[in-house]
Amino acid sequence: MNMNTAEVLSLESVLVQREGNIASDMDGEKVMLNVQNGKYYNLGEVGGEIWEALASPVSIGQIAGIIQEMFEVPEELARQDVFEFVQSLLNEDLVAIVSGP
Amino acid sequence: MASIVQCPGYKAFGLQILSEFPLPELPRTDQPGMLGSISVVEADLSERWESIPKITASLGTAENEVMFIVKDTAVFSIQNGSKITVSPVEHADPASIRLFILGSCMGVLLMQKGILALHGSSLVLDNKAYALVGRSGAGKSTLASYLMDQGHLLVSDDVIPVLVHNGTPLAVPGYPQQKLWQQSLDYLGMNSSAFRPLFQRETKFAVPVHDRFQTEPLSLAGIFELAVSQQDGPVTLEPISGLERFHTLYNHTYQKALVDRIGVREWHFGMLASFVGRLPMYRLTRPEQGFSAAQQTSLIFETITQKVEEMNL
Repeated sequence: MNMNTAEVLSLESVLVQREGNIASDMDGEKVMLNVQNGKYYNLGEVGGEIWEALASPVSIGQIAGIIQEMFEVPEELARQDVFEFVQSLLNEDLVAIVSGP
Repeated sequence: MASIVQCPGYKAFGLQILSEFPLPELPRTDQPGMLGSISVVEADLSERWESIPKITASLGTAENEVMFIVKDTAVFSIQNGSKITVSPVEHADPASIRLFILGSCMGVLLMQKGILALHGSSLVLDNKAYALVGRSGAGKSTLASYLMDQGHLLVSDDVIPVLVHNGTPLAVPGYPQQKLWQQSLDYLGMNSSAFRPLFQRETKFAVPVHDRFQTEPLSLAGIFELAVSQQDGPVTLEPISGLERFHTLYNHTYQKALVDRIGVREWHFGMLASFVGRLPMYRLTRPEQGFSAAQQTSLIFETITQKVEEMNL
């Protein structure tokens, strides 16, 4: 399903959370449990915000915009962080691509 | 009809228990507990048991209610975190009924009240509560007995209610008895594990410990998970860190199988997240052969002392 998605992600790619994950706040960081595989994840602070943004379908560009504003970081850095983080969510099968590229 | 008000009140797990069934193990109280009052009543549950949606052949749940049936003993219903109803089978062993009231039923009731219950023993070490958790056979009660022999007070045995207030966990006292009741403990999570031959042996012990019992809640300062190594060697201790702590606490949640079955996984996870990052946790591994309680104890105290020193720096 998510074979080699690295190349196809773009600012226009729209993604959404997969179901079956429970997230909670732990001292300012977002922690998550995947109920199916029983794995625990620490998404961290920025990752937690990205995860929240993915509650409904949203494009990488939109998420990067949110992160850029929220953490007051340069556009390029926000985009790079979001690309990398979303990629790791994809690798763990925690999010799904709704439409691409 | 018997009136609840006239029932004797007992004190356990932070609750005042108004029970139609005599619970001689428990101290009496006429005060509501810090977690409130609950009632234990006798009633015919046969119709209710027929109609409740079943999760397994012996377990049913509806909104705010969990029911289970124990062959040759009774049907139990736990409702709203406030009421336990028991419908005993004719000639049922009262001791066996008590076992389930104070074990499985209480575990469900605490969950319904939104209180985390861990499976293990907790003791007062250096003026704070520490929990000993671990699988059956890991040596929890042996170590707990040893520590009590050394003069340390028991906070709770088997079911450890944990209250979390502002991210600080508090261990609530159970009642003054040290006892193993694997049968009750495993009942709801059961399947093959309920039929381990061990429990027959373990249920035999019930030791009153009125003089070695901590009666007030204490801050829970750490958790020691007891483990057994196949290899020969010394007792070892290692910190459990990061996300593995979630897994450890989930694993040692009392009746963890019910967390999913009665649909409270999200609450449970959020509850753990509210304090898990600040609670020290260690894995204490002993060799399978030989008596290692003394070695375990010295490692525990070494660790506690070191932790206290670090905090004072």
